[in-house]
Amino acid sequence: MENHQASELIGVVAEHPNMCVKSKHSVLCREEKDSKDAANADKQSHIEKSYTTILSELGEDVNREGLLRTPLRAAKAMQFFTKGYKETTQDILNDAIFDENHEGMVIVKDIELFSLCEHHLVPFFGKAHIAYFPIKKVVGLSKLARIVEIYCRRLQVQERLTKQIASAISEALEPAGVAVVIEAVHMCMVMRGVQKINASTVTSAMLGRFHDDPKTRKEFLGLTMRK
Amino acid sequence: MEHSKQTQYSSNEKKDSGDSGSVLNGHFDGMVKRPAGGTGRAAAAQPPGAESSSHRPAASVMESWREERTRSVEDNEMSLPSLAAAYTTILRGLGEDPQRQGLLKTPWRAATAMQFFTKGYQEKIIDVLNDAIFDEDHDEMVIVKDIDMFSMCEHHLVPIFGRVHIGYLPNKRVLGLSKLARIVEIYSRRLQVQERLTKQIAVAITEALQPTGVGVVIEATHMCMVMRGVQKMNSKTVTSTMLGVFREDPKTRDEFLTLIRS
Repeated sequence: MENHQASELIGVVAEHPNMCVKSKHSVLCREEKDSKDAANADKQSHIEKSYTTILSELGEDVNREGLLRTPLRAAKAMQFFTKGYKETTQDILNDAIFDENHEGMVIVKDIELFSLCEHHLVPFFGKAHIAYFPIKKVVGLSKLARIVEIYCRRLQVQERLTKQIASAISEALEPAGVAVVIEAVHMCMVMRGVQKINASTVTSAMLGRFHDDPKTRKEFLGLTMRK
Repeated sequence: MEHSKQTQYSSNEKKDSGDSGSVLNGHFDGMVKRPAGGTGRAAAAQPPGAESSSHRPAASVMESWREERTRSVEDNEMSLPSLAAAYTTILRGLGEDPQRQGLLKTPWRAATAMQFFTKGYQEKIIDVLNDAIFDEDHDEMVIVKDIDMFSMCEHHLVPIFGRVHIGYLPNKRVLGLSKLARIVEIYSRRLQVQERLTKQIAVAITEALQPTGVGVVIEATHMCMVMRGVQKMNSKTVTSTMLGVFREDPKTRDEFLTLIRS
């Protein structure tokens, strides 16, 4: 009986490739989604329990009013700070690439970014400045900021973050050049360790024309790094 | 000085907790409770009979800052493995690979960092203030402003940072200036709520010096509002606590607020 049903459904699936192709029964699609949600809820409760352990090991009273729901809030906050893992550039860029005959520099600067240091799990935040030279294809401006979001909402190292943003734009648009500069303050340096409050870290990634031509690079830096 | 402190503390213990209004204003009557150790790990510096758990005031806001939970360096060492294990679980739960090179020692670093961010639990005001109270015939306002402050939001475990401005009108006794900043450190290096932090600093200075008045203003940025949730980047939260003549005399309060703004 089951085999008969299975072969019927396989035929259906072949005719309608939009249906869930991972499973042979459409019922399983819903089950997969449910199990994915359950897995996420499971992960969240593991993170929650870890935070409860952390609070009590730090010497706090986990039953006092202010801390009662803190493990849940902290778990959700942490998941928000790392939501970039689930997002890809394709998801956000597919519709917003336009044919345009513009070949001058396009700069989007002062994009706020908030990320988490992967070494101490403490925030670092600052600004990103992005520029590119389009070849026939321009991208919706907010998409540059969204690309920054995808890569910064992860456990990061500032150098890698800069390079990932530059590579993502380069692969998606195939422009004549891409430049990314990030200026950030690392709370792991400010709040602990050396405790230098005014120190900031600047990293850059120059690809294509920005890498090869010093004048182009200088123009970009002059336009973005002006105080 | 030691003797007068002891007298103050023991007289506090005898008095009833009263209502929250009298705690804020009542430092003239010596009714402010000195935060006493609530755990069995109280250090020897505590005067005898320091347990205040027998009279817990009704308002739950008061409860947590009255109790001073102490933690020691040894406790830190003993907690480190379970803290690191908890962080490893968190990394896995977030979908990361704890074995990759950048994350190998992260659980230990994060655990040590978190212990540093809550080191205020290991410290007591007495230890910091003992030697730096001086008799000085000065009765004009003393202000220490722009003290950088870093704390942790107790609701989301995300940093809060900002500046603290402290002013007081001494009554024959002044405090070493850096000690004001050290008081800020002790209370800010904890899981905090900005309102409570402001009040704790003001009360600590009041109890140490019995000045004519104390004013504390904190302006801070809460990463829990900036990095997540409403995501308002430029928002700042300002809280203040005015005790004694700063609360009662508008001119004094104005002078203080003007001087910290300039």
